[in-house]
Amino acid sequence: MSLYNRKINPLIALLSGVLIMVFGLVTATRVEGSYFLIAVFLYLMLFGYYKECFRVLPLYVIVGGIFVLITYIISNDSFSALKMANRFGAIFLAIVPGIGIEPVRMTRNLSQIHTPRVITLGMLIALSFVPTLKIEVKRVREAMKTRGAGSILNPRIFYRAFLIPFVMRLINISDTLSLSVELRGFTIDKSDYTVYKKEALNFKDIIYILALIVGMILVVVL
Amino acid sequence: MEELVKQLIENSSSVMDNRKIDTVEDKPKKRNIFQKYKIKDIVFLAIISGCMLITGAIMPLITQVPIFGIIEIALGLQFSIFPVIGLMKVRKPGAMILISLFCGLLLAFMFLPMFACLMLCAVIVELLTLLIFRGYDKNSACVFAGTIYMPLTLPFLYLWYNVIYTIKSDDGKAVQAFVGADPTFICLITLAVVAICFVGSLIGMKIAMEMERAGVMKK
Repeated sequence: MSLYNRKINPLIALLSGVLIMVFGLVTATRVEGSYFLIAVFLYLMLFGYYKECFRVLPLYVIVGGIFVLITYIISNDSFSALKMANRFGAIFLAIVPGIGIEPVRMTRNLSQIHTPRVITLGMLIALSFVPTLKIEVKRVREAMKTRGAGSILNPRIFYRAFLIPFVMRLINISDTLSLSVELRGFTIDKSDYTVYKKEALNFKDIIYILALIVGMILVVVL
Repeated sequence: MEELVKQLIENSSSVMDNRKIDTVEDKPKKRNIFQKYKIKDIVFLAIISGCMLITGAIMPLITQVPIFGIIEIALGLQFSIFPVIGLMKVRKPGAMILISLFCGLLLAFMFLPMFACLMLCAVIVELLTLLIFRGYDKNSACVFAGTIYMPLTLPFLYLWYNVIYTIKSDDGKAVQAFVGADPTFICLITLAVVAICFVGSLIGMKIAMEMERAGVMKK
């Protein structure tokens, strides 16, 4: 795998997300903050996060745009609107490295640094469960349509025809998943385990985080 | 043949006696409050956290709206329904902390202070529930925990908003830029959040009780 295609180390990605958010929010009240966020956007694209960047961009434009517009209308000050745009930008950009992390890689990385199994297992399930949850919601809604249950906006129908079957499915999935996890040898005691595919720090990770920190220092100094 | 029958009767009567002894020995033991977690508990709590995470995905959209308590109002219902279901299935101390941890670690990317708030509040909720109810055995304990979980974040977020949204004007004076500096407004928002969370907890309890009746809430 080439250096460009290699994904950033999950822990480094997490760290960068936190740094972008904190620094972005701190500099949100300055014009330089906007330049910083634009530079970070391009920088993330350069480091292979272009898909995640383009996934977040429309959301930022729509949601951020609404709030920026509201701020401008209320305050009648373009600078206040810019500050709001910067705040939203910092938060949306901080999400980008997080979206790019694969749950399995994150779990491997956390296991390497001897994070308790309860946390790694819980995180892995919570993260991996999101797509399953979407499918389950779709299935329950299809079942509602088939039964002619009526509108989901009606609280009674929502409770009886959506929420109850949905929670029932969650519990059944949980039982099956826990059996599956136990059969695969997962334990939450302190028994030894081996991480077969280790997540090592490479040159790209170091360059990525160092350049980000240098960029932040430059924004403060210049 | 008769001897064999006699032996069989003796054998079965001795088995019955042993059983009686067993039942006599099975006095109601004092249940340990702190029980060990099993994998299925962790899996269920993680799934519940996944649900909270998805329904809490609106958080980045509302974090920057400078209105006191808007996060709690938007998330109050789902952050009380799901934890109560989780607590009623896994009635073990520490369940609330685990839910907050699984959910908060991922919510941290959306809004870092909220993660810190959630963890701190989960610890407080656990302590209060242990002090008052001595665990989650009663349904009222689960409802109590679900009701106070989100409202407890309000004081911490109040501090956060005061730091972030207090800016200096041109004449050097501090300007309060977030809506909610008025005590009456704070009281009203707090009451609204408590009410939303209480309703959510009751819905969560009702769902969990229906699941118990259906026989799916196996321990």
